[in-house]
Amino acid sequence: MPNLRDGFRRFLFTPQSTIWLSVLRVGIGLQVLFYTVSLRSDWIELLAEGNRGLIRRDLMEALLSVESPLIPRVGWMVEAGGWLHLSETNVLWLLWGGLLLASLFLILGLFCRTVSIVAWILFLCTVKSAEPFGYGVDNFTIIGLFYLVIAPLPDSWSIDARWRRTSLKSSSLQGLHRRVLQLHICIIYFFSGFAKCAGPGWWNGTSLWRALTRPPFDIIPPDILIRLGFVLPVLGIVVCVMEATYPVCIWPRKTRLIWFVGVLALHAGIGLMMGMYLFAWVMIVLNMAAFGPGFAFEATRFSFIESPTENRAETSST
Amino acid sequence: MLKSGKLPAFRLAFFTVQFVCILLVCLNDIFSIFSTSATFFPDTLNPVWDRGAEVTLIPLGQTLPETNPVRETVSAYLNLAGIEAGYSYFAPNIPDNYKIVFELYYPDGRTEIELPRVNSRSAGLRFATLLDKVTETEYAPLRTMMVKMLAFSVWQDHSSANKIRAVLGSVDLPSPAEFRLGRKESYRVLFAYDFDFSAAQPSHP
Repeated sequence: MPNLRDGFRRFLFTPQSTIWLSVLRVGIGLQVLFYTVSLRSDWIELLAEGNRGLIRRDLMEALLSVESPLIPRVGWMVEAGGWLHLSETNVLWLLWGGLLLASLFLILGLFCRTVSIVAWILFLCTVKSAEPFGYGVDNFTIIGLFYLVIAPLPDSWSIDARWRRTSLKSSSLQGLHRRVLQLHICIIYFFSGFAKCAGPGWWNGTSLWRALTRPPFDIIPPDILIRLGFVLPVLGIVVCVMEATYPVCIWPRKTRLIWFVGVLALHAGIGLMMGMYLFAWVMIVLNMAAFGPGFAFEATRFSFIESPTENRAETSST
Repeated sequence: MLKSGKLPAFRLAFFTVQFVCILLVCLNDIFSIFSTSATFFPDTLNPVWDRGAEVTLIPLGQTLPETNPVRETVSAYLNLAGIEAGYSYFAPNIPDNYKIVFELYYPDGRTEIELPRVNSRSAGLRFATLLDKVTETEYAPLRTMMVKMLAFSVWQDHSSANKIRAVLGSVDLPSPAEFRLGRKESYRVLFAYDFDFSAAQPSHP
């Protein structure tokens, strides 16, 4: 039992540098920035309660209340704005500006903890009030923001650490939080891959064909795709196998690089071939943060990016 | 490494709860889609998947009454952590694709065909998701209400039209073999709704 306990402790608390946290913070900050900028021209239509919206926000929020009245929503902000005599439009644009500002602060690493909480709440409000318009990318962004909120911030590359001299947290704690993200990513791929494996279409190329020809993901003309028809079954099987075996193959030294690069290529492909740029970006960020630079026992490979500040924290905490 | 006996118990307990929630949501998701989708598994297993989906809802409090505080708190936590949904995207098969078309009728007898418009590709992706959700809404009055809202948003730009017919359908995409034979996508009507906005002002429907 003591061995098991020690093994468990070593697995969870392997000292880590803060580089993973820098990747997560900057990557998710950029994700929120892209999200905010990309929806600027449709912002009011997505979130307005009145006649300017596609789907009335109050109906969506009523449905949200059935799920739980505790889930944050834009309606709370509009109501609070009402006390200050702010119109709904003004509140919605303030929300847009707040998200933009929070994302910029996140990227810079200024007031990391406060800004990550603000970004998380504002993003939650927006996404949950426009739930029918939401898809996987929103959930992954929330996951990234959530882990950022509870993470041992700041990281050594943030302005907080470099200029404001906020002290870094213990490297073992960094290890625990990174391990949690790694395990979550493994669960995501396992269930995603396993569910695909159960569908006959993923083994004969039909599902990949349908995914790539289905509007609005039909970026590549079908005439070109049909010429690559023989590749589709192989790619479909590769996607299934790579995702389902990710939790096993991402850890051993021999297979790690293949799976890591393969999954990044998969998401880059989804972004370029299906136009799901935000989805591709957030998945690449989560993978990079979990299994990218400085992963586990390979610190030497990326030692050139560790800063003196970081090394100081490592020494003091171990 | 942390010194012996100094494990951060609160964090470990919190992460344990987090992973239990993630696993339960994922299992529920996968059991639900296996029971409703075509898979390699025999149909005789469907009751097993259904039962599995039911069982995984119990620890999450989702079988309690909707206003139960435990259920509401767990639901809120799942949403706050972004783990309220599983990860079976595009699985086990690619879902149908939906399309909505609006036919606008004017008092002078003219008819126009209009498609919903958004201003960016990003919003276009989200609109496609909306159509999936509208079409898959089983509660008919809610689906009607959502389609009416979309129709009303179109009517805002064509307020001289006195009637709008919204036709919601699925797009059947050709398989690679059918595409080689020259077959194009076809449109199958699922629902059609007539809305009369002649008495309406440009306000809520």
